[in-house]
Amino acid sequence: MVSSVLAVAAKDATQELRRRVATLAVLFFAATALALISYAIGPFGLPEDDRPPLQAALFWIILFFAAATGLPRAFVQEEETGTLLALRKTLPGSVVFAGKALFNFALFLAIAAVVVPGFLLLLDWKIASWGLLAASVLAGGYGLSVVSTFLSALTARASQKNVLFVLVAFPLVLPLLVTAIAATLEAARGGEAWMPLRVLIAYDGAASGAAYLLAETAWED
Amino acid sequence: MKALKLLLLPYVAAVVAAAFLWPAPAKGFIGESSRIVFFHVPCAWTSSLAFLVAAGASFAYLRSRNPWHDEIACAAVRTGLVFGILTLITGSLFAKIMWGSWWNWDPRESSYLLLVFLYAAYLFLRSAIADPERRARIAAVYALFAVVLMPFLVFVAPRITASLHPQTVINPQGKILMDTPTRAVFFGALAGFSGVFLWMLSLDARAARLARSRGVREG
Repeated sequence: MVSSVLAVAAKDATQELRRRVATLAVLFFAATALALISYAIGPFGLPEDDRPPLQAALFWIILFFAAATGLPRAFVQEEETGTLLALRKTLPGSVVFAGKALFNFALFLAIAAVVVPGFLLLLDWKIASWGLLAASVLAGGYGLSVVSTFLSALTARASQKNVLFVLVAFPLVLPLLVTAIAATLEAARGGEAWMPLRVLIAYDGAASGAAYLLAETAWED
Repeated sequence: MKALKLLLLPYVAAVVAAAFLWPAPAKGFIGESSRIVFFHVPCAWTSSLAFLVAAGASFAYLRSRNPWHDEIACAAVRTGLVFGILTLITGSLFAKIMWGSWWNWDPRESSYLLLVFLYAAYLFLRSAIADPERRARIAAVYALFAVVLMPFLVFVAPRITASLHPQTVINPQGKILMDTPTRAVFFGALAGFSGVFLWMLSLDARAARLARSRGVREG
């Protein structure tokens, strides 16, 4: 099963390396949003006391909207290229879902690799605990990737799928974003972040379990 | 069943009258504003109950593929949204009296608004899929996925940040902090609102079944 999951993720990665549609769109969005925020408020445009919570919130807003540009393509791409049925006949739905979620997580990490250094440089972002920042980005990004992949499977064959994806995804990922912002804020301040991290891990576990169990039914035809 | 429905009207009327006349207003609240608890909390309870019923009916649909279960799930979400919107309206009335503005982006207000969005998205999702069988299946999967993540929205996210909202019935002490008349009216209201919900659910689901039998497309 693991090899099949890796094969699906590798197939998506190869396709993406050939066309670079999602990667370029996502990275361009992230760079534009960073430049806009940097231009509007710069490193010292915010009052000293307000800086950590606002920076943590802006950081996750950029990550979420950049991810929302690319992650929903997981199943939509198969639908557009007409390969959905072939993939469905070859592998169980849960394996395809896990492979696509893995690729989406890799894509999220690529976004984070651009946004984190950009944010640090352009907004003079001070981080007290790098380990905590890494943990919140990894846990938050994983949850975002799983939920986005699953919702992509649900909305792939609906009309107005792009608008629908945002409508459906936003209320579901908001608890994740609120918690990830709280954990990132503690990473910047050097405070106690075990509580938000625990919630993030619980959310990731619940979302993964539910998505894995429902993937087969979600993608029946 | 018909007798129960006939009894529901005088019962709910008695609960509403008692809510205004029997318990004394709670201390620490402006004027009579604490009486909103007899309407606001039952609305919130009923909408949560409706979303749980929707999840149960969705699970039943995925097992049986009987369209009647899908019709119950859809009716439960629609009825739950009515009670969810009433929760937001009654909460907003309380916020105006106690906190001075109709909407404060309090974590509890915001999380409940998002809960309403979460289930409004269920209806959007249904309306975007033309094939009835696929629509029912995808909607059932979404309802089950949503109910797994719902506790994070309702119970966890509001507790991550500070809130002005009065202590809820489910509080850290694990006790219901109410005197006897308040408790009697409160639980009476919970039962009454639940009865109204079941009646509305039954009407809506039966109307959908009738529409299906006559070949009318959902919309």
